[in-house]
Amino acid sequence: MKDSKESTGLSRREFIKATGVACAAFFMAGTVPGLLKPALAAEEKEDIKDVLKKFFGDRKIETGHVDLKVPIIAENGAVVPITVTSDLPMTPDNYVKKIYVFAEGNLRPFTASMELTPANGKAELALRIKMRQTSDVRAVVETNTGKLYQGSKPVKVTIGGCGG
Amino acid sequence: MAEVGKIRIKLPQTIKKDEVVSVKALVMHPMETGLRKDKAGKPIPAHYINDVKVYYGNDLISSMEWTTAVSADPFITFYVKADKAAPLKIVYKDNKGGTYEDTVQVNPQ
Repeated sequence: MKDSKESTGLSRREFIKATGVACAAFFMAGTVPGLLKPALAAEEKEDIKDVLKKFFGDRKIETGHVDLKVPIIAENGAVVPITVTSDLPMTPDNYVKKIYVFAEGNLRPFTASMELTPANGKAELALRIKMRQTSDVRAVVETNTGKLYQGSKPVKVTIGGCGG
Repeated sequence: MAEVGKIRIKLPQTIKKDEVVSVKALVMHPMETGLRKDKAGKPIPAHYINDVKVYYGNDLISSMEWTTAVSADPFITFYVKADKAAPLKIVYKDNKGGTYEDTVQVNPQ
């Protein structure tokens, strides 16, 4: 393809480069340096059960009120677009306080979280995440009253985070 | 990465008062994990956005915590209830002390 439009808006070249870099990085590591154990070997994968326990303790997480939009097949594990939506109300007395996103197959499943207020009007977050391998993506929402709800969906990663 | 920290925020063209509108935000950032090595075998230091804050007028309405598992050049969509004419500001902070911010004006009609 000889398309010479190089400088339209966000440079596509830059984007692809960055994506590739992230991709490679992810395959090799996938570690969150912000976590407290830098000595942890790269192969030591955190189990989603332990992660959920770390975040939520023994609190009950009900299924429902969380809708995940994910690709059935992700061609590039470095850029997997996901959307988390909750149908829970966003009124001053009753609202979704926080959304958590976990990619279960990653060495460090915790991916991102977002705190919300009623000023958001709607509990929805779309972002693009890195996935090392085919696995479930799980989202948990926490309400201001302390209730937890979750939903999960599988994503098949064909080029597993750039190598797997 | 030549343009680290370049931000684009997009709102719908017309906004009605009290409408819940989508905010799309893109920031150029490598989101480097820190365990990758360069061609010479030297580790490339971690460089990623870990903190995002959204202000609407004077209020902090949302904040986010990110890890390296957020894709490079993070692109997010979230929602805001447009109940006033006020600036909407997004502030990104990375683990190396970089701060990047941009503001758009919300003008409900």
